[in-house]
Amino acid sequence: MPKIEWGILIVNYLFLGGLSAGIYFIAALATYLQEKDETAYARIARYGAMMAPWPVALGSLLLIFDLGNWWRFYKLFVHFRWQSPMSIGSWLLLLFTALTLVNFWAWLPEERRTALVARLRLPRWLDRDLAGSRRLLAAAGFPLSVGVAIYTGVLLGAVQARPFWNTNLVAQMFLFSALSTGCGVLILALSLNRKRLDATQLRFLYTLDICLITLEFFIVLPYLLHGELSVEAVRNSLALILGGPYTLVFWLLFMGTGLLVPLAIEVWEIAPALGSGAPLHHNRRLAALAAVLVVCGGYLLRYIFVYAGQLSSFSR
Amino acid sequence: MPVSSLDRRRFIQIAGAGAVAATQIGCGRHQIALGQRREIPTTCELCPNKCSVIAVVEDGLIRKLNPNPENPKSRGMLCARGNAGLLQVYDPNRLKRPLIRAGARGEGKWREVSWDEAFDYTAQRLSAVKEKYGPQGVLWSSTEAFAEVFFKNLGMAFGSPNIVRHPTLCLASVNLAYSMTFGTVPSFDLLNANYVIMAGANRFEALITPDTMDLIESTMNRKTRLVCLDPRFTVTASRADEWYPVKPGTDMAFILAMLHVIISEGRHDKEFVANYCQGFEQLAELVKQYTPEWAEKETEIPAADIVRIAREFSDAAPRAVFYAGRRSSTYQNDFQMRRAQAILNAVVGNWDREGGMVPNAKIALGEYMFLPWDDPQAPRVDEMEKNFPLAAKGDGAYLKLRENVLAGSPYPVKAWMILKQDPLNALPEQAKTMRMIEQMDFIAAIDIQMSDTTWYADVVFPESTYLERLDPIEVLSGIWPVVVLRQPVVKPVYDTKPCLDIVQGLARRLGLQQYFDYTIEQWNDAAVKELPLEMPLEYLKKHGVYTPPGGPKYGATLNPEHRFVTKSGKIELYSERLQEAGHDPLPVYQPPLGPPEGRFRLVLGRKAYYTHANSTSNPWLLDFAPENHLSINPAAAASVGVADGDMVEVSSSVGAVRLRARLTQEIRPDCVYMLHGFGKQSPWLKRAYHRGGSDAAILETAWDKVSGNAAMHETFVKIRKV
Amino acid sequence: MHDKRYALVIDSRKCINCKACVVACRAENQVPLGASRDWIGEEHRGTWPRLLAAFQPEQCHHCVNPSCVRVCPTGASYQRDDGVVLIKEEDCIGCRYCMIACPYNARFFREDKGVVEKCTFCAHRVDRGESPACVETCPSKVRVFGNLADPAGKLQQLLATRQFHVMKPQTGNDPQIYYLL
Ligand SMILES: Nc1nc2c(c(=O)[nH]1)N[C@H]1C(S)=C(S)[C@@H](COP(=O)(O)OP(=O)(O)OC[C@H]3O[C@@H](n4cnc5c(=O)[nH]c(N)nc54)[C@H](O)[C@@H]3O)O[C@H]1N2
Ligand SMILES: Nc1nc2c(c(=O)[nH]1)N[C@H]1C(S)=C(S)[C@@H](COP(=O)(O)OP(=O)(O)OC[C@H]3O[C@@H](n4cnc5c(=O)[nH]c(N)nc54)[C@H](O)[C@@H]3O)O[C@H]1N2
Ligand code: SF4
Ligand code: SF4
Ligand code: SF4
Ligand code: SF4
Ligand code: SF4
Ligand SMILES: [Mo]
Repeated sequence: MPKIEWGILIVNYLFLGGLSAGIYFIAALATYLQEKDETAYARIARYGAMMAPWPVALGSLLLIFDLGNWWRFYKLFVHFRWQSPMSIGSWLLLLFTALTLVNFWAWLPEERRTALVARLRLPRWLDRDLAGSRRLLAAAGFPLSVGVAIYTGVLLGAVQARPFWNTNLVAQMFLFSALSTGCGVLILALSLNRKRLDATQLRFLYTLDICLITLEFFIVLPYLLHGELSVEAVRNSLALILGGPYTLVFWLLFMGTGLLVPLAIEVWEIAPALGSGAPLHHNRRLAALAAVLVVCGGYLLRYIFVYAGQLSSFSR
Repeated sequence: MPVSSLDRRRFIQIAGAGAVAATQIGCGRHQIALGQRREIPTTCELCPNKCSVIAVVEDGLIRKLNPNPENPKSRGMLCARGNAGLLQVYDPNRLKRPLIRAGARGEGKWREVSWDEAFDYTAQRLSAVKEKYGPQGVLWSSTEAFAEVFFKNLGMAFGSPNIVRHPTLCLASVNLAYSMTFGTVPSFDLLNANYVIMAGANRFEALITPDTMDLIESTMNRKTRLVCLDPRFTVTASRADEWYPVKPGTDMAFILAMLHVIISEGRHDKEFVANYCQGFEQLAELVKQYTPEWAEKETEIPAADIVRIAREFSDAAPRAVFYAGRRSSTYQNDFQMRRAQAILNAVVGNWDREGGMVPNAKIALGEYMFLPWDDPQAPRVDEMEKNFPLAAKGDGAYLKLRENVLAGSPYPVKAWMILKQDPLNALPEQAKTMRMIEQMDFIAAIDIQMSDTTWYADVVFPESTYLERLDPIEVLSGIWPVVVLRQPVVKPVYDTKPCLDIVQGLARRLGLQQYFDYTIEQWNDAAVKELPLEMPLEYLKKHGVYTPPGGPKYGATLNPEHRFVTKSGKIELYSERLQEAGHDPLPVYQPPLGPPEGRFRLVLGRKAYYTHANSTSNPWLLDFAPENHLSINPAAAASVGVADGDMVEVSSSVGAVRLRARLTQEIRPDCVYMLHGFGKQSPWLKRAYHRGGSDAAILETAWDKVSGNAAMHETFVKIRKV
Repeated sequence: MHDKRYALVIDSRKCINCKACVVACRAENQVPLGASRDWIGEEHRGTWPRLLAAFQPEQCHHCVNPSCVRVCPTGASYQRDDGVVLIKEEDCIGCRYCMIACPYNARFFREDKGVVEKCTFCAHRVDRGESPACVETCPSKVRVFGNLADPAGKLQQLLATRQFHVMKPQTGNDPQIYYLL
């Protein structure tokens, strides 16, 4: 009977890494969609830039903390092993974290930046305006954030030994889930803003998230179908979520409250935009709820996959 | 000399992380030569097999024990226990220096004393008992060990007839049955047999060299047919070609029916019987009544199978053996059952031929000539002459002995000297052994750990462990016997001594030193003098074992001139001596009692990684079964409302223990089973202390009528969920 | 093809579950309690009295395509030319990815050292010309250790005359413990 080696720290890490990637990706998208030299969704872009570095930084710390020899973590960067998803991922993570920090800097208002440099006694040359590079940073972010989001899935999916994981659908699921959680956090940030609800920006996020959640559904279904039609070991491993210990979390919590409910709320929210002229329903509480549920769903997905996957194995 | 911290660290690694407290070894006399790796051959002591070992010693610490392939008996194997043996040396809870009891018996208050004080005190107490009750007032008990001879000699020189050894707890009935039939106890050539019937023995868990290895080799590679009779589905059963969950205590019916088939169909070896056996006609007459159909009712083995097995067995003869078994402390008719086996083996003529029963070959060791002492004046307290006139007198009959000691008849026995034995666990009915302990004025034990019995002693002599001492050179008997040496591979870590030193220390103070006026080296010199080697001792020190060239030899007794060491000089199918002693001269079947309604027969049996009651405190071994369970068939468990994992109370007329039930298909529904060696009372046995239950606490007292061998499968227990 | 390829041929039928190999390995390699580099898989089937019990010694299979080596991010897990898969303790960061990637659950984590450990085929003994501790000590000689690349060697002889299977061949690891049938 296989034991659980990767526990809640790794779940958190995969979730946080994906979350940052999602936030960054959406923010970059918002940055990239320009109208007349102006960022179309400036608030999303700024919020995203402000938030993106921290989950991944925290996640990386957790990962290091989870190591048997955390002080040896630098060895990850002494070697590059292209066959090891973790090696690729570590490098990706390093580059991506650096990028999120630079981007953060590029979006920091000038007074804040100057104050920070003074307070933290950072070298003077850091107090530089990078606003002009925002589009470039956004462009660089597309491959890196998608890479990080996919990598959290590939880390699991590349393990042949665990039939629960061993399909490329895991990487895609993790990617879309990561983007969706990023969306969720941004919706939450926008909807919590007391001053004003920006309908166009929210609608942009809702639309995006509805697409992402729908995509998730279209990955979960083939994942299950594929698995059921696959070899015995895979079928047996699916039993973990189809009648096994993770059934309830998977169906009720992940699929139900993590995907379906927020999807319904979001569709309802943008419904007016489809029909009558009103941009949105504009229910702040429901928006926040949907966002929180999306984020929780993303977390549960990691949780279920990390745990159930480790319990699955080939027999004989 | 204190041990450096570096070595402490290494030491902890050896004992397994966290298994040993680092502070426990800061003393002792052992010297460390850094950077040295030596390989020293010696002999295992963790069970009666005495396999040959090569100890790898690095920097003065035992790193590893490897098997020594030079020994054809142990043939390059070392079992789990043999591998774990090095922890005996480094066990922080082992006996480290002599102790004298300070509080009440069993209270656990000890005073560490010098060897002088321990000797003086013991000698004084023994002399007091001798003065009051005569030398017969001191009992000397021990279980087989190379140095047992010194201990026994001290008892005899002291003047006590009461030397009691372990055979009547173990194999006395099987030994007596084969001796009464063949005049000797043969070995079984399992390697070359084509057909083996193993009943009441579990050779793939109760390891015996070379039998275990021979049987695997022959059944798995040479396709020897193995038929197993056991109420439990043991590993042996699982490897057998046929397994019959025989009704307990009825094996004899199976054997008699086999004899019936073989004789009535004229399948016996007529020439062999005519030349070597006597009493065949009476036997043929007796077994007429024992039809396979009758046996089916007794044994629950189908008659057709009995007939077939009898035919196959006689067809395969003389490469066929009905294996004698080893622990025969089972039923009250065990002697007659083993006699039936011996007779079955004899009539198909599988004697002294390859693949059959073979008398053990001899290697003569020289003897050191010590002064003889006067024979003891008093008769034995177990009254062997009266109770078991045919049995081996020198070993005594343990259970009868305990009865008489408790009754104070024919005379009081008030002191108890114990070597390498744990009577509280080895004898059935622990409470009775406890009463025997209580009525003793004085008890001293020579052990390496604080066993349950040692816990109740007044003086504890710590013997050096087998890896720290030089023992008398011994012959391991068998078809291909060998000579083995046990030599120290490290110096004693603590203030301990080998048996001879302890015996001599006592002898000196008892005024018996003239009988022990030799060193172990002189003793061993004398022993090896006759070996056909140039420098026998040097050879043994280098090789650990001496194997006479040429391999097994067969047929020395197969000439009509040969006189068997029996009354008639023949193989006695019919025994006049048995008749004279008031026993059945031929094996007559006595059906066993069955369990009363709602009760279950408790059966015993070994596991490959434990020896008796003594290795459950070894962390490397305890790892495999941290406590014992009551194995019970689900059908039986349902009848008493017990589920898997339930805590149950198992009780008999003499005691009760608590342990968890484990439901298993691998046992008859009318039997239950538990592993020996748990439920320890000695807190020094930290890992086994109060874990599980002790079978000795619930086994009732019963013995085989002819040999006096304990009958340990005659207890019916009640099971109650608690 | 290298001129050396160490492998094991195991005749499970001969295994009597005596655990000698487990203790021998513990002693030889100072394996801490609570973990083992080798173990005996047990299978008990049937209802009384139709029963079956099988024992299967297991340990690292020293795969030809070791997934543990592939996923190791630091190169701590590596394979020697003779096929033996080892772990460089000083390069192991203790991420346990290799444990998850091993289809045979052959690896375990050492809390005391923060690194992963597993069967080494007793490379230190083998390099001295000895056999692995578990192989040597076994009363039944269940395991046969040797060089698979030697066409005249005992492994090739056994595999030529007996039927065999390997565990979990689907994983593509190409495990190098051959179980005789
Ligand atoms: N690992 C290990 N090996 C040992 C020892 C040890 O302690 N540990 N001790 C050594 C010693 S001193 C001895 S004496 C030998 C003992 O060697 P064995 O006599 O082979 O060992 P036991 O385990 O006592 O086997 C008794 C078997 O008889 C079965 N049995 C019980 N009642 C009946 C019955 O009525 N009929 C039949 N046919 N079977 C029955 C039991 O279920 C059990 O499996 O082992 C020696 N080898
Ligand atoms: N309930 C039950 N009772 C049984 C049996 C059973 O299976 N079940 N089996 C019976 C059989 S077959 C036998 S042979 C007997 C065995 O009975 P015992 O000989 O009493 O068996 P052990 O439990 O091995 O106890 C041996 C003692 O010797 C100590 N010892 C070990 N090594 C050394 C050493 O090097 N030097 C010294 N001085 N002491 C040492 C141990 O610490 C232990 O206290 O038990 C019999 N009694
Ligand atoms: S069978 Fe095991 S315990 Fe007994 S002597 Fe041999 S190695 Fe030692
Ligand atoms: S030592 Fe041999 S027989 Fe014993 S458990 Fe290991 S493989 Fe099986
Ligand atoms: S068995 Fe596991 S640990 Fe061993 S080489 Fe194969 S994948 Fe690696
Ligand atoms: S735990 Fe060590 S050996 Fe395993 S993958 Fe991580 S670094 Fe490599
Ligand atoms: S080969 Fe060595 S390391 Fe591997 S299981 Fe056997 S004894 Fe242990
Ligand atoms: Mo025994």
